[in-house]
Amino acid sequence: MLELNKLAERVEAMGRCLAQRQEDLQERLAHARELLGRHSLVTEALREKIARARAIDEWRRGALPLAAHLNERRIPPPLTSPVTLIAVDGSQIYPDRHGIATYYLLNIGSIVLRLGSGQAPTVSTIPELFFDDRDLFDPDGQLRPPEYINAQRSRREIAILADLAEAERSRTGGDPALPIIAMVDGPLLPWMRQDAEEGEALTEEVDFFVHQMQRLRRAHAVPVGYVDRPGSAYVLRILELLELSAEEISRETLRQGRFRQLTDRLLFNNLAPNERSALFTSNSDANDRYEQASGGDRIAFVYVNVARRPGPSNSIIVRLEVPGWVAAQPELLDIAQAAIYANCEPTGYPYVLTRAHELALVGQAERADLEAMLFQAMLRNHLIPTVSPKAQSKFLTARR
Amino acid sequence: MTDNSIPLGRVLRSSTPAFTVGCQPLSLERQRFMPRFGTLVRASVGERETIYGLIYNVTIEDDAFVRQLVAAGVESAEIIEDQRQKRQVPVVVDVLVVGYGRGEAIFHRLPAQPPPTLAPIYACNPAELIRFTAEHVWLRMVLDARDVPADQLVVAAVEAAAQARPPEHQKPYLVEVGRELARMLSQDLVRLESILKQLKPRAMERLHGSQTE
Repeated sequence: MLELNKLAERVEAMGRCLAQRQEDLQERLAHARELLGRHSLVTEALREKIARARAIDEWRRGALPLAAHLNERRIPPPLTSPVTLIAVDGSQIYPDRHGIATYYLLNIGSIVLRLGSGQAPTVSTIPELFFDDRDLFDPDGQLRPPEYINAQRSRREIAILADLAEAERSRTGGDPALPIIAMVDGPLLPWMRQDAEEGEALTEEVDFFVHQMQRLRRAHAVPVGYVDRPGSAYVLRILELLELSAEEISRETLRQGRFRQLTDRLLFNNLAPNERSALFTSNSDANDRYEQASGGDRIAFVYVNVARRPGPSNSIIVRLEVPGWVAAQPELLDIAQAAIYANCEPTGYPYVLTRAHELALVGQAERADLEAMLFQAMLRNHLIPTVSPKAQSKFLTARR
Repeated sequence: MTDNSIPLGRVLRSSTPAFTVGCQPLSLERQRFMPRFGTLVRASVGERETIYGLIYNVTIEDDAFVRQLVAAGVESAEIIEDQRQKRQVPVVVDVLVVGYGRGEAIFHRLPAQPPPTLAPIYACNPAELIRFTAEHVWLRMVLDARDVPADQLVVAAVEAAAQARPPEHQKPYLVEVGRELARMLSQDLVRLESILKQLKPRAMERLHGSQTE
């Protein structure tokens, strides 16, 4: 129960704080834009500063420019031929030690939409139930944490994306001229969200991802990670280096960067509709590992405005991540961006990702149905299913 | 029951005079049965009893996603076909109970119990439709029903029943129905005329001809 009257004063204070913060952010944003305009050329001096910063841990959230100018922009030509969009998303039911049994579920939804065909897309869901000891418990006998289950889900998402790309390429006779854009929701490198400590497990994850990227490349598909409302500040970290001499770059100065709390999304909110920023590649550990395992490829990114109406207040800035071999082909990136922009028209978010998410989602009623099936299965095997007293009390106090 | 029964859906909620069925979405590619206004359907209650009803309302429900697409003026053929054929947007069918069967007997009155939740609902095939409409008492149940488009439902159901019969039996059947309706609606000639006009025109001619004999 939330007693709102006890928060009234703090809420007012928060409103005042937000206004003050907004004023400060606008001032620093203006400064960042001015730097971007005045020092857009990627000079050797800047590259040296970046190299120096890369040696320092705090710059893990920086990026390396791939273009000649930091403020390059491009609007791709409109699509003139059919394009196929493939999207995959997954959901999960985590183990619940208060439930009638310990298990976890993964459900992967996918859609293959053939733009220009006039046909309904192909949709699919693949549920998997895990209940064996080796799936539920780690070698020390501990219940697998949510991070492990998330990683299993991510593996399946990227593998099924590769399956669908191969199948679609085969279905169309193997002609590489037909573009296939293969999308996931979120960063392309899935383990960027994890704190993996075990070297062997991490290597296995990296190798698995590299293998799926290679499958997608052989199928002449364009893998894209679509990051909506990105909170990243990769480019701002570069701009902070512009005002430092090489000698001034240290862990302390990097930590006190002038553009903290600002995001690249704000920096680029003056992109025109369907305009993309210059190409960059993130300076993350994950990207370094990918580069090493893939033989030199790095995941690159651009910011794109997928809004229909111009103006910063209407902008919808997203981050698109692609493998380096896609970034090296501007015409391929043009097609991917144009197709994604077209697919964002109805709702400002790719239709195929919305549908993939919807297909993957397991609703409460569906979960209840699964539990009912499990209940019956346990009874048939002479077991008496029970929930914990805690779960029972939650059921009694839950609102309808 | 017959072997070529076509499943329609399952009961979502029910009461003595009516029940609601949830169906899988309309899908042209799957060639599934399309719920049609006026169709006679049946639900099993236990081993021996069958409840019969007429579809009087078909609702294709929307959701926030569909509304957003409509508001955005979506024109992509692929998206429209995805919404029509692939999305699990429920189709809800309302059914008016018009009788029940026990064994071989048909009773044109309300059953003792409504169909249970999740009971499968089937569309009646022509043989079942002919058998149910051999007597005309069910017409009174439809005419007296509240909150349904009763007159339209009579017309649709009678036409379906006529078309289920062999060609040489259709005309006599319509004549019988016309006479029965005339008897039931003798105190409401305006309503009677409206219903008969909506049936095939020759039914009205036959009725006028029989009255002058």
